[in-house]
Amino acid sequence: MRAHNLLLGALALAALLSPAATLASGGQPLPATSGGTADERLITIPEPQSPFIAFGIWVKAGSAHDPAGKEGLAALTAALITSGGTEQDRYQAVLEKLYPMAAGYSGSADKEMTVFSGRTHKDNLEAYYALFRNALLAPAFASEDFERIKARTLNALERTRRYSRDEELSKDLLFWLAYQGTPYAHPGDGYVESVRRITLEDVKQFYREHYLRDGVVVAVGGGYPEGFPERVRRDFDALPAGSPAVIPAPRPKRPDGVKVLIVEKETDASAISLGFPIGVLRGQPDFVPLLAFNSWFGEHRNSFSHLYQVIREIRGMNYGDYSYIEAFPAGYATQQPRVNVARQSQLFEIWIRPISLTEPGNLHDRTLFATRAALHELKRVVDNGMSAADVETTRQFLRNYTVNWGNTISRRLAYALDDAFYGIPSPGYLQSLRPALAQLTPERINTAIRAHLQYDDLYLVLITADAEAMKQKLIRGEPTGITYAGERPAAVLAEDRQIAAYPLKVTAEDITILPIDQVFEK
Amino acid sequence: MKALFAAALLVVGAAAPATTQDSASIFPFPYEVVQLENGFRAYLIRAGAPGQIAYVSIVRTGSRDEVEAGKSGFAHFFEHMMFRGTEKYPQYDQITTQMGAARNASTSNDQTMYYLVAGSEYLEQIIDLESDRFQNLKYTDPDFRTEAGAILGEYQQGAREPGRFLSEKLLETAYLQHTYRHTVIGYEADVRAMPEGYEYSRSFYDRFYRPENVVLVLAGDFDVPGAKQLIAKYYAGWRPGYVPPAITPEPPQTAPREQTIEYPGRTLPVLSINYKAPAWSVDDTLSVALTVLGDIAFGSNSEIYRKLVLREGRLQSLGARFGLGRDPALVGVQATIARPDDVEAVKQELYGTAQQFQTTLVDPALLARTRSAIKYGFLMRLETAQDVAFSATQPIVSTGRLEALEQYYRTLQAVTPEHVRAAARKYLGESGRTTILMVQED
Repeated sequence: MRAHNLLLGALALAALLSPAATLASGGQPLPATSGGTADERLITIPEPQSPFIAFGIWVKAGSAHDPAGKEGLAALTAALITSGGTEQDRYQAVLEKLYPMAAGYSGSADKEMTVFSGRTHKDNLEAYYALFRNALLAPAFASEDFERIKARTLNALERTRRYSRDEELSKDLLFWLAYQGTPYAHPGDGYVESVRRITLEDVKQFYREHYLRDGVVVAVGGGYPEGFPERVRRDFDALPAGSPAVIPAPRPKRPDGVKVLIVEKETDASAISLGFPIGVLRGQPDFVPLLAFNSWFGEHRNSFSHLYQVIREIRGMNYGDYSYIEAFPAGYATQQPRVNVARQSQLFEIWIRPISLTEPGNLHDRTLFATRAALHELKRVVDNGMSAADVETTRQFLRNYTVNWGNTISRRLAYALDDAFYGIPSPGYLQSLRPALAQLTPERINTAIRAHLQYDDLYLVLITADAEAMKQKLIRGEPTGITYAGERPAAVLAEDRQIAAYPLKVTAEDITILPIDQVFEK
Repeated sequence: MKALFAAALLVVGAAAPATTQDSASIFPFPYEVVQLENGFRAYLIRAGAPGQIAYVSIVRTGSRDEVEAGKSGFAHFFEHMMFRGTEKYPQYDQITTQMGAARNASTSNDQTMYYLVAGSEYLEQIIDLESDRFQNLKYTDPDFRTEAGAILGEYQQGAREPGRFLSEKLLETAYLQHTYRHTVIGYEADVRAMPEGYEYSRSFYDRFYRPENVVLVLAGDFDVPGAKQLIAKYYAGWRPGYVPPAITPEPPQTAPREQTIEYPGRTLPVLSINYKAPAWSVDDTLSVALTVLGDIAFGSNSEIYRKLVLREGRLQSLGARFGLGRDPALVGVQATIARPDDVEAVKQELYGTAQQFQTTLVDPALLARTRSAIKYGFLMRLETAQDVAFSATQPIVSTGRLEALEQYYRTLQAVTPEHVRAAARKYLGESGRTTILMVQED
């Protein structure tokens, strides 16, 4: 048993609070120990004082395992498990039983991991666990559930994905561009045509082939009774023996120059995503140095982000501007880092939130100004490195900020599963961050920046109106300036002129235009 | 100085015993309240992880308070300005960055809420910083204009979502007078005019950011007596002067309203059926019964959900929204309909469900399960210090007091099948109904 022992935290808490007022430890760095028998397929985080028990079940298969032409199958299988009936109960009965507990479970299929999460109050553990277990181990795969979920999924792909959050769509398209020709290329939910082709038999077969005893890691945390996690593990041992084949790590190509995808859509605000492949994964020596750089350059949903300062705070161009060294789907929906999107290959990604026109005709200039501003700042830090003062501020910030990343039992379990994916040993990623940050030097960070980042070769996705005009503007390479409603300091205006003329290495052959209704059609 | 602070602590009492817990109470944590003479109140709750605190300031002002024409979205805009610093601490962001604090804010109809989650060692620094920006906020006209650009960007993020499009039209149809008529983010024209609103923003701060209108919830791991003293020290000098907005009450609706709108994008037909609800109340049994009714009649465990979503597949989704507001807000359901030619039949099914609960009594066992669902729904949210502080929001926004929470759950326990039927008769009648059908533009 791989024990992430947070017992110390829970005991300290018990001393602080009255017996009725006990909650779990909040991920303070604590010594962690391993104990029990070694079973890499079981992770436990005992927090005896917690009134909650949380589950995380990692199935070692994801959208990268989708058969060609059936893209979206891993996600549809997971959806049918979490929103369908079991051999014991029709879905209606499942909902009826969950109802008085106000509990539920969910699943998400990323490229190489499908993770099912659940949580219950300890008062309801047995009744809840029976439902959770049956959903995963005895799914009915009923045709009524399949038809319902497939119809819902198709509506999301045909309509919602194209007509709700352009910024999220631009991120999906960036990964699609960068990973062409690899199992990481297609969006996890699939294409419209591929999902149309999926049959119930495909789902059953995917489950039979990928939900296997040794390819499932069980994680249980919180105030569970003694022996409970081992019982859960034994239940999951009823799955057929074996483990799904591991997908070879995708090797996305570094583009030559700037490859642009412009999605044509009627809109008065542009979505912008850009990035390129990097060769660093969590757990590797350059990861924490790059994490520190990235925090300073573009910490997610944080005004600490340098890009945020340059584009939003000083110039008021949009709501926020961030960067990433690990995949971060649906970033608009959360302040905290995403969990359970562990991958064998990552992009460096810049997310510029929608840029709005402020006067008729200035949408494209503003869009390109923001894009150029991001690249101008990236070039500056790649060429000059981070200053010692910025490194110190970042270290101080991350030292405490990262404590929040593991603030719930479910998140601590999720991080432990990611540790298992990356082979990060005890005490695990979260617990090792503070000591790793303490050892960082500006030289170390700047060496990592030079080794992994650049600003010449990248993929750029723009969702905007009048794509052809945008294409021509890009080819002409003319400066794209902005104006302000009020006065600005001379220094800002001087910098604006530099940004507006920042060279984008684009030719006509580098630009593809796609109408919105064809996006992810097939 | 110490004597002054002591005098300012008008009432410092334990609202619940500090070490034991009343088994009948819903809130599983003891707490204490600090009441200052200027009207400022703070709740101190020991909960959550060791070494962490959540510091949540609730301003009982939201888009509901935007009574002037052309000023929709201003409460939310003002929330942004609160991060622009003071004379004493011009760099709010820099200071909270050094703490490594997670911080943000949100605005809704009835409230604007600011939070920081940080290490306990920063408690005094946070009290100093937060009390200072609530009393001495300072920003220039150019700063104000820059922030207006960020708001426009925020508006654009969800501007073309079908849900936003529907909400705007629904509220305009359901409300003729009350400020619930506009969305929290505001109308696009008002958002685009925001750069010109500097003077108005100062008056907004002056009228609403006052100690009588702000409640602090401090949850986490901290020394309670020390925190009380610090709160008194930093907040006692805040001058009262809250000016309640003159919100025009909504005249009673006397006939059903119905409208079809065309969404400029792709969507299945979406049907939104709404009713005028009473204000959130701790002791009005029928208003509590209405929330219970919403769950039973239209929730994911309801008969109509089973029929239309699960068995017949005629709806892709059915969502019930029966939470109440500080003023009479809308409750109702939203349905995504699989086939355009089924719209009318679905509408009649949903109207029929509302009617059915006016004549029949709900099964007492189902009512008991619903009470359980509401209870565990509340408890399941209490994991982190931040969750605990946020759980105090509804009673504080509506009544100014966390104590209202216990009263609310006592009232919930007393709800009978007769109350549920009476709530259906009183609130789900035709005359208070507003129906919007959203279809795809041709």
